Amino acid sequence: MKKNIYQPFEAIIEDVIQETALIKTFVLRPKQEFSFCTGQFVELTVPGIGEAPFTPSSDPGIKDKFEVTIVKAGCVTEKLHSLKKGDSLGIRGPYGKGYPLDKFKGKDVLIVGGGVGLAPLRSLLYSLFGDMDNYNRVVLRYGARTSADIIYKNLVPAWSKNKKTDIMFTVDVGDSSWQGNVGLVTTILKDLSIDLNKAVGVVCGPPIMMKFVTLKLLELGFKPKDIYLSMEKSMSCGLGKCGHCRVGKFYACKDGPVFTFEELKDNHDIWD
Amino acid sequence: METYFLKDEDVFKFYNRIAQEYELFVPVRVETSSRIKCDYGFNLPSDDYALRKFSEVNKEDIVYNDYRCIEPIRTFLTYIKEETCTYFKDQPQNNQEKPPAICGVKNCDIFSLKIQDFVFLGGNEIDPLYQERRSNALIISSDCPNFKEACFCRAFDINPHASEGFDFNLSPLTGGFLVDVASDKARRITDSLKDIFVAAGLGQTSGRAAKRENVIKKMDEHLSCHKIPKKDVLKEIVLSGLNSKVWDEQMQTCVECGGCVFMCDTCHCFLLSDEPAGDNAKRLRLWDGCMFKNFSRVAGGANPLKMRYMRLRNRYLKKFDFFVDNLGIQGCCGCGRCIDVCPGKIDIRYILRKLYEEKYLSAV
Repeated sequence: MKKNIYQPFEAIIEDVIQETALIKTFVLRPKQEFSFCTGQFVELTVPGIGEAPFTPSSDPGIKDKFEVTIVKAGCVTEKLHSLKKGDSLGIRGPYGKGYPLDKFKGKDVLIVGGGVGLAPLRSLLYSLFGDMDNYNRVVLRYGARTSADIIYKNLVPAWSKNKKTDIMFTVDVGDSSWQGNVGLVTTILKDLSIDLNKAVGVVCGPPIMMKFVTLKLLELGFKPKDIYLSMEKSMSCGLGKCGHCRVGKFYACKDGPVFTFEELKDNHDIWD
Repeated sequence: METYFLKDEDVFKFYNRIAQEYELFVPVRVETSSRIKCDYGFNLPSDDYALRKFSEVNKEDIVYNDYRCIEPIRTFLTYIKEETCTYFKDQPQNNQEKPPAICGVKNCDIFSLKIQDFVFLGGNEIDPLYQERRSNALIISSDCPNFKEACFCRAFDINPHASEGFDFNLSPLTGGFLVDVASDKARRITDSLKDIFVAAGLGQTSGRAAKRENVIKKMDEHLSCHKIPKKDVLKEIVLSGLNSKVWDEQMQTCVECGGCVFMCDTCHCFLLSDEPAGDNAKRLRLWDGCMFKNFSRVAGGANPLKMRYMRLRNRYLKKFDFFVDNLGIQGCCGCGRCIDVCPGKIDIRYILRKLYEEKYLSAV
């Protein structure tokens, strides 16, 4: 029988971790062989409801299961959030081209995340941490709306132990429980002590945040070819056929979702 | 490719033979009361042709279509709504569907198949539904002895007659048709009907050439009034015109009906949509279109194409930038269906002309 490119295969939810009020991480065990490269995405199906694209947030080195961190934001994700341990999900993928780790080697890697945009970046962090001799430094700058919206809080101490990392978080709106910086993530993109000739910037977050972080990185002197963006586009098939995710001469699903700003800079209407 | 002559009175033998193996679609006339005036003295027809099942139509209603039918050819290759699969259990598909044989296909439609094939058969993943229908379909194209006001294939150097990409091609002559036979599928049919297909004479083929030239000449004269830019500059003028006022101006009358995208020969966008089906689930594929407001909206509400002028501009970028970059041809075959269908009178010919004039003829 011919392979049906639209048919998902089954995965079992092995665990559900509540990250914030609106964000959960699902631990999935696929019933078929499955592996991904950091930055690639999968289409997850809630059976009979619908499908949406997500980028795994776990270490790509772990092969028998993977994690996806999902914010409740639409009808598919709302149903996803009601699923429990033991329930079934559908998977298609992985699709697209992930982060080109080879191009990051020997460099300072500045990672800028916003909100649930830290999820794909966590998989990148695991990939980098697993091979730290090959990278000069990892600088993480992350912004969330409030301290209650910060994800992976409990992982930060472990990440910070590595001498080659520099991690800083900020919140848009401060409160009594928050001791750190208050302001948009662009306000902590300073004094980075990064050698611009040997640095890359990796950005993932909501479209409006990606826009302003990109502008900020350009202002700091990053070259467009060294800014890597995880483009969030409306997507349906994930295969370069349905037409939704066109960005210029590319489809985000098959040519991305990771693009350099160099590849996108001449296009109108790419953010919000 | 062999060329035969088929007499008028034998056409139904030909149709009946095809209908044994295929679901044959044939053109019927759809009279339209509204007349399109050409203010430069051309008297162009305004009636339409629709494709109907040969098995269901009155035989006397079957006509030769002088120009393309209402339906874009892709309606036979991907459906407006169809089931793509079930999950997680496969359900046996009792597919009794006969492959389609489509009469009255024109060269604009054949050009559009290059786009559809690129989308559904190209890349790493092949669409199995499209592939099956496409490889089994019988394409029976025919010359255009006339054209509608909205037709503009020649502006992009596409002829109103096909020279490749069909199984059969019919060219009307006095008393019958010249029939080009271009594939093994088609040859199997002519081989079984040897008595009605006679070798074409030289006089007949040169008669056809003269008729074809005449139509081209008349159409070129018609198109000279529209001043549509040549295909080589389309990418350039769309890119240089990103900030043109024409996008917003033209969208003032758009009612967001989606007619332009659904009637388009070269549009292909779709949306996968799921439904429960007992203890199983099924995945449907629905045609979608980039002129709809939520086409590019993402979860959380961000929408890079929230204004209507952005969506029109995006559509032209897809057709004249994306496809030119990725396939080397423009995503428009000049069939004019979007012009005919639009209740807001938005006209691709006008937009392209405007973009060209703004780039090359604007007073500095």
